[in-house]
Amino acid sequence: MNLIISTISQGFIWAIMAIGLYITFRILDFPDMTVEGSFPLGAVTTVIMIQHGYSPEISLLVAFLFGCLAGFATSFMYTKLHIPSLLAGILTMTALYSVNLRILGKANMSLTKSNNIFNSYGLDKLPVNFNGIILGIIIIAIITSLLIIFLNTEKGQAVIATGDNETMAASMGINTTVMKFIGIMVSNGIVALTGGLIAQQNGFADVNMGIGSIVIGLSAIIIGEVIYPDVPLSIRIITIVIGSIVYRLILMIVLQLGFNTNDLKLISAIILALCLALPTIRAQFFQAFRNGVKSK
Amino acid sequence: MKHTKRLYGTIIFLFAFLIFAFFYTGHNEKVAKNKIPKVGVLQLMSHPALDQINQGLDDTLKKHGYINGKNIKIEFQNAQGDQSNLRTISKQFVQDNVDVAVGIATPSVQSLKNATSTIPIVMGAVTDPKGFGIIPSNTKPGGNITGVSDQAPLESQLKLIREIMPDLKNIGIIYTSSDMSATTEMKKMKKIAAKQGLNVTVSSISNVNDLEQVSTSLSQKVQAIFVPTDNTVASGMKLLSSIAAKQNIPVFPAATTMVKDGGLATYGLSQYELGEQTGEDVVKILRGKGKPATMPVTFIKKGHLILNEKQAQKLNITFPESVIKRAQKEGKIIK
Repeated sequence: MNLIISTISQGFIWAIMAIGLYITFRILDFPDMTVEGSFPLGAVTTVIMIQHGYSPEISLLVAFLFGCLAGFATSFMYTKLHIPSLLAGILTMTALYSVNLRILGKANMSLTKSNNIFNSYGLDKLPVNFNGIILGIIIIAIITSLLIIFLNTEKGQAVIATGDNETMAASMGINTTVMKFIGIMVSNGIVALTGGLIAQQNGFADVNMGIGSIVIGLSAIIIGEVIYPDVPLSIRIITIVIGSIVYRLILMIVLQLGFNTNDLKLISAIILALCLALPTIRAQFFQAFRNGVKSK
Repeated sequence: MKHTKRLYGTIIFLFAFLIFAFFYTGHNEKVAKNKIPKVGVLQLMSHPALDQINQGLDDTLKKHGYINGKNIKIEFQNAQGDQSNLRTISKQFVQDNVDVAVGIATPSVQSLKNATSTIPIVMGAVTDPKGFGIIPSNTKPGGNITGVSDQAPLESQLKLIREIMPDLKNIGIIYTSSDMSATTEMKKMKKIAAKQGLNVTVSSISNVNDLEQVSTSLSQKVQAIFVPTDNTVASGMKLLSSIAAKQNIPVFPAATTMVKDGGLATYGLSQYELGEQTGEDVVKILRGKGKPATMPVTFIKKGHLILNEKQAQKLNITFPESVIKRAQKEGKIIK
């Protein structure tokens, strides 16, 4: 039972990152590799701030701002210097490795003075692992509402239009460059915030902790889309949360079945590939089914 | 519309489950006592040095009569370097109520520490547990964590280097910036060498791809290169030694495994022995002969003198008679 709860709790926290990733990946149609750098950036910022006596909340806010800066770097290279999107992200991610190392001063640091958001506000009095769930739900609720409110403003609609069809958006007088800046910065801010949360939950930050984070985020988005196709944008964000939890549960089952953990990366990739291919397989299956009905 | 309904269904189910779990876990769920002792081993990633520690641990448990599946259950998990896996596996160990949890490499230990403050945790090789903020003191850990440090006997190593190269003035150190153990040893070695009046040049790499360029540049500035216990450099040791050999520069690694791959000599710890010591700690706790709080962290003092004769010939270096004799007695000469 504890294991399932712990898994769900992980699902909630990682879902926040997936929501951030959704802004670039789906809304802006921009595959953003920056997250593998902005995720640990948030973690190292948070740990250093807390070690210097700042409150966990302030440190998360600063992590968010730093993430926005990382997003700024990528958008600048992409929009102003016309570096291809994937490459711009990879460049920022690579540069952030050194930045993270500078901020942290070393490769790995524990949070010794255990003042973190997971045990403030009486969250530690809850049954085991429920602090992550409650906190996850609260943060997701805040971010989702802010995001939905924003996306329904004129600016937000402009961001969506930019992702849908840039040429069309530009012809309607939308400054697509600014929209990309906004989208990529907010996205990386949310990712860095998640990095900060994970560092507080795990009790340490490590400069290598970003590796593979993009796969976790994408899995959540795509599993959500596969289970619930065709839903409006605001509900889509909720499906990401479900997707994130489902992904964690699948991994937990895989671990419980006693698979060799050396194969875990392979299994994660297969899960993601299957989910990506599922709509195609489903379409072809229905096509074959209809053809079968016709021939009768 | 159909999908939105299904989504609401899922959400209601999820919350119903969570509410149920909230009260359920709050009240009972007493963890059943294990019939046979259970040891959970969490290894950070697949890597020869880390695998050796695990091997040493396994063999030691066997030596003490613990046979996996018969009178002990050893649950080995490898996190493949993934943060969320570390956490999931740690939680799983706590859930399984293991009697002892072993963390191989620093992040594994940190993750276990975060998951439990009651289950004994044995560190399988953390360079400086106090320095990394894992325990308050290396001599009196106080909590539920103790174990083995893999800090190399750096003083003896430098002494050996100076014996082999009496004219040494400039020494270079190469290490990986994301490797905590390597960074700690680099800093310590830099201090020791500077105290002895040597000029130290330090170069760092971020991954094995940087090794060629960085080591080429470093080997032009120094007379010898020292490598701390560094996983990344270890995997590129052959490359490093061949680049250094072009300038006739010997490489002195901190770990014995690296001598085989072209290092000249070392006075080092074997990862396998670290694993053995880790195993000894586990057995002590399993048999109730010790509690982590009062078991000091083990720093292995005794190293093995290992010389690489083949590399010496390539570099036109002759080992002093005394060093060869010592190696024959308490170490190994690779020919």
